[in-house]
Amino acid sequence: MKERTGGALVVLGVILVVVLIAGAILFSWYLAGYNKAVRLEEEAREAWANVDSALQRRMDLIPNLVETVKAYAAHEQELFEHIADARTKYFQAGDVDQKIEAANEVGALLSRLLMLQEQYPELKANQNFLALQDSLEGTENRINVARIRYNYAVKYLNTYAREFFGSFFCKRAGVKPMKPFEAVPEAAQPPRVDFGRDNLSSQ
Amino acid sequence: MRKAILLNFIVLISGFVWAVSTDLPQPAHYVEDRAGIVSADYRIKLNGLLQELEQKTGVQFIILTIDSTAPLPIEQFSIEVAEKWKLGHKGRDDGFLFTVAVKDRAFRFEVGYGLEGFLTDQFCGQVGRNVLVPLMQQGRYAEGIYQATLALTDRIARHYNVTLTGMPAGYRNPVSDRPTGTPLCVILPAILFILLLSARGIWPLLLLEGLFSGGYGRGYWAGGSRGGFGGGFGGGFGGGFGGFGGGMGGGFGGGGFSGRW
Repeated sequence: MKERTGGALVVLGVILVVVLIAGAILFSWYLAGYNKAVRLEEEAREAWANVDSALQRRMDLIPNLVETVKAYAAHEQELFEHIADARTKYFQAGDVDQKIEAANEVGALLSRLLMLQEQYPELKANQNFLALQDSLEGTENRINVARIRYNYAVKYLNTYAREFFGSFFCKRAGVKPMKPFEAVPEAAQPPRVDFGRDNLSSQ
Repeated sequence: MRKAILLNFIVLISGFVWAVSTDLPQPAHYVEDRAGIVSADYRIKLNGLLQELEQKTGVQFIILTIDSTAPLPIEQFSIEVAEKWKLGHKGRDDGFLFTVAVKDRAFRFEVGYGLEGFLTDQFCGQVGRNVLVPLMQQGRYAEGIYQATLALTDRIARHYNVTLTGMPAGYRNPVSDRPTGTPLCVILPAILFILLLSARGIWPLLLLEGLFSGGYGRGYWAGGSRGGFGGGFGGGFGGGFGGFGGGMGGGFGGGGFSGRW
């Protein structure tokens, strides 16, 4: 009789240990999955912060650049106004999506602004303009680098959020997929603007 | 679970695409002349200068020449290589990659985060446009690379307040920090001021001369101690004399300048 209860106790003990181990494994698995969701979101947010600061840098350059160009190309008033409007729109943007949209618009307009040097040779020879152009080009490259890194971070996050278990963990951690920053074709390519004249000569 | 593993795997692989297109081995020298355009004497001068730069400032400045960066644009190629080689130190981000793609007639200065403050895009642009491009257009590749590197390393050395003995004697940087016409406004009053003072007596000039010779004196002193330093560092880095020890995990954010000739 005693031996039987002893045997049962051993069995119970073994079951308990197995359950405990299984529970620990399950728990650590849950923890890892949960933490991954949090980490991926954090990385994407950090990557966005870099994009944001590069974009901010671009916005800071614009007033100086416009002033310099204005001195040579005063009757491009319409373009200057468009740029000012787009810039305001960027600063008023509430979320990432709106910011991306406004930033793309600004980028396309800036390409047009830089194109003006083809029409105004004096502008091309202005040292101040060249220096500002260097800064702008450097900044555009920074935006591009930050953008690609952000898109990678977002891709990781969004893939995880679509996975069978990943989506479960993302929901638990309150992590939502983010929107990648697609470059508009105008911003990625060297600017080709149709001033009408240019179009005719190239065809 | 299988699906999750598979998906994870796909994500992992796609993550590597960013780095897979440039398969250059780690650099063994400061001048990685893969296009074969830097003659031996320039290569020795540049290797020495850049090694001294790293020993005195920690800045890892690598020159890479290559035939072409195709299919990538030089901007993307350059940052991928800079990241892969981990130029600069972690936290200080003091790496610099100077890429020349001869057949593309293109170049790029890739500036590490930590150097962006004084090697600004504008400064790099001036070095590119005014120093490098004119020589490259004449086909004087090695000279162009050398002169551009001098202008850049001179700026770095001044920032870290060190004297590089590898610089040619009496080197004067053709690129100023303030590119937009300000130097003249500063220099003219300064000259006037000195003239005014020297009219009142000879002593201010003497003082100035003393300052300059003081600077030179430091230079000679640094030269004397160079041998000892070089040996110590070479061993520590395991790179040997004249060799590059390897990147230390510096970060790049796309700052710098690229151009064509």
